[in-house]
Amino acid sequence: MARPLRRSSPITLILALVLFLGFIIFILSPSNPVPSIPKSKIASSSSTRTSPNSPPPVVHYYLNNLTTSSDPVGNRERVLVLTPVARFYDEYWQNLLKLSYPRDLIELGFIVPKTREGNTALAKLEDAVRRVQTGSKKHRFLGVTIIRQDFDTPVPQNEKERHALSAQKERREAMSRARNSLLYTTLGTETAWVLWLDADIIETPHTLIQDLASHDKAVIVPNCYQRYTDKGKEKTRPYDFNSWHDSETALAMARKMGSDEIILEGYHEMATYRSLMAYEMTEGGDPHLETELDGVGGTALLVKAEVHRDGAMFPPFPFYNLIETEGFAKMARRLGHQPYGLPNYLVYHYNE
Amino acid sequence: MPTDQATHSLFHHTGTTKLKLVSPVKLCLFVVKKKIIRFQPRTQPALRWRRKILFRICSISTVAAVILLLIFPSFRQLLLPSLGLSALLRDDPLISTVKHYDLSNAQGSARGWEKDERILMCVPLRDAEVHLPMFFSHLRNFTYPHRLVDLAFLVSDSKDRTLMLLKEHLEKVQADPDPLQPFGEISVIEKDFGQKVQQDVENRHGFAAQASRRKKMAQARNWLLSATLKPYHSWVYWRDADVETAPPTILEDLMRHNKDVIVPNVWRPLPDWLGGEQPYDLNSWQESETALALAETLDEDAVIVEGYAEYATWRPHLAYLRDPYGDPDVEMEIDGVGGVSILAKARVFRTGAHFPAFSFEKHAETEGFGKMAKRLKFSVVGLPHYTIWHLYEPSADDLKQMERMEEERLEKEAREQEEVERAKRVSESWQDKKGEWEQDKKEIQNKALEKSRERRERRERGERGERKPLEGSEQGPHAHAGEEEAEAKKGGGGSNAEANGIDAADDA
Repeated sequence: MARPLRRSSPITLILALVLFLGFIIFILSPSNPVPSIPKSKIASSSSTRTSPNSPPPVVHYYLNNLTTSSDPVGNRERVLVLTPVARFYDEYWQNLLKLSYPRDLIELGFIVPKTREGNTALAKLEDAVRRVQTGSKKHRFLGVTIIRQDFDTPVPQNEKERHALSAQKERREAMSRARNSLLYTTLGTETAWVLWLDADIIETPHTLIQDLASHDKAVIVPNCYQRYTDKGKEKTRPYDFNSWHDSETALAMARKMGSDEIILEGYHEMATYRSLMAYEMTEGGDPHLETELDGVGGTALLVKAEVHRDGAMFPPFPFYNLIETEGFAKMARRLGHQPYGLPNYLVYHYNE
Repeated sequence: MPTDQATHSLFHHTGTTKLKLVSPVKLCLFVVKKKIIRFQPRTQPALRWRRKILFRICSISTVAAVILLLIFPSFRQLLLPSLGLSALLRDDPLISTVKHYDLSNAQGSARGWEKDERILMCVPLRDAEVHLPMFFSHLRNFTYPHRLVDLAFLVSDSKDRTLMLLKEHLEKVQADPDPLQPFGEISVIEKDFGQKVQQDVENRHGFAAQASRRKKMAQARNWLLSATLKPYHSWVYWRDADVETAPPTILEDLMRHNKDVIVPNVWRPLPDWLGGEQPYDLNSWQESETALALAETLDEDAVIVEGYAEYATWRPHLAYLRDPYGDPDVEMEIDGVGGVSILAKARVFRTGAHFPAFSFEKHAETEGFGKMAKRLKFSVVGLPHYTIWHLYEPSADDLKQMERMEEERLEKEAREQEEVERAKRVSESWQDKKGEWEQDKKEIQNKALEKSRERRERRERGERGERKPLEGSEQGPHAHAGEEEAEAKKGGGGSNAEANGIDAADDA
């Protein structure tokens, strides 16, 4: 043992020393600027939250002066666009960027699931957001909040499994949780409107926010369709069946059901005979035509912030045998806010 | 030694003889073998050294890395992103408008103060000017690190100086020279809901007013929470301003139980004539069969209100289960919660639980919140023997009673005053007599002294001795006094007897 040590001492020791020193230099040299980065990050990201020298000031908010009117641009009303992201579609982002509402009045909120898919979506979203928010100041959004959810999503989100009746309740419960988590952490003191826009809505009119807000309704939902090609021909078909007017059959079904069961739309096993807004579209009809709804879909949905503030959320449990966005519509009605639909105003869903 | 050498030479000899016997081919092989054997020792150590060098370098660097990890925690942040996926959720310091949060970091744990868990403290206020100084004295005493507590106030429909006073107090606490005093972010929200119901005690607790009042209260609470809850909050603490007595460690005490929703018992002190103390918050209860059956019979918008004869629910109330000497850590599963002091994990609210401003399972506001949290499978717990004390505000009946008692007291005081005055008058009149007697006594004494002087003079003249009068003057005062008194008694007659009589009466 002593001999090899003695023999190798010049090379080994010098090598080891050089490497060790190099290692230390490598570690220490970035470690000096690195701690300052998190510090400045904290200081900038949360204003004065952790700086011990100057305690945060008392901030006064006058919510009495907050308006949600039919002229949101004129009244400088802030819109919070909320999107639960399971997959990131570039078409969605491009469509979002095309919205003509002033970006200095738009805040974005995203929630991603705690899965590998979620991480890939997050990476793409990150990239897209960075490009816009480092671009020219004029085109930046007012703020972007990206949140990773704290619970597991039960079912893998592929089209077939997603729509299986048995998996629906669990899936939509998780969806409700995600929506609520996103809503209650991003809704601020100055938010006037909340636009729910699903990550797979890839085409909307550019004036979506202004158009929906102009109706001045507490909750308003456009008709959600899907473009597809059938034998080389471009066609459209109804996609979201969660916007409906209630039927006696459905109400009678609910009365017979236990409090933990839910009624779902669009399944043969469960014929509700509700009249669905998806089928109320008339080609070339008046896009401003309103209709009162009892259940709403969440693919695209404009809500006055006060509805959410009053407590209307997406029930992650059967509420009057309804769940998620349909349960939300019911809760809004219980709180005295009537949801409306626009059967001839179309937004388009991604075709998987 | 010699034998050793002999054997050695012998072996050597036998060895050479054996060599001679082997064939030339074998010999050749042997030589090759020998060459290989001679060659191997050179190659092996070289490899081993190289391996050793590598091993040594690796071990040194790992040890160095471990030490550095231990010494500089910031180094961990450098390493971890490459290992985990949290790299994706890091804020870019150059883009101030984009923020990232992982809600898994805001779950809330039993020892939140050690993990820097932030609490959002929500306080709804209405015409609460008088309670503010008391409330802020509580706030200053909180032992939970103040910088981790974000304060949110909702001032609604206030007609007094609540808002001004609140801001004064808040600015004072934020400007406190003690670095441990200032709190985290503070939001004061002003929003009127057009509450018609008056906030005085009688109206507030009247049965008819309850349902609509509580729906409005619920609305206020929801507005406050939804506007101020942020992704980095782990806990939400609801506290009323009119709590009179509460332990300064209440946040830690409740947090230690690590429950999703937890409430203490709320009592209030009473004046002695009302029994000294009383359960106050009857909204923390366990569901009963009777109440569930009752709920079935009510229409959709009805709200069951606890503590009124109209709805006899027979529920076990947290408040009535208090044992003043009981273990404060005892937990009790409850279904409805009272709003005086609620500690809840922020994820309860993030999941969607709120204070229903409509009839949710026949309940509204905090009771409805308890029901909803239960519906979402969160744990809802009350501490029957951990008590905080609500301020005692006398009701109209109490006030009448107090007025009556006050009158009685005044009457009694007046009577006592009279008594004292009479006694004074009496003693004063006695005092006069005593004075007279003193005067008489003095006069008598003077007379006696004059007499004795005359007598002494006479005696001096008669005896002409020098010693006797000296002795007399030395012993004299006592003896003489006695003599004098005796003489005075003899001579004083009637007035003396009277004086003695008074003296005796005085002594008695």
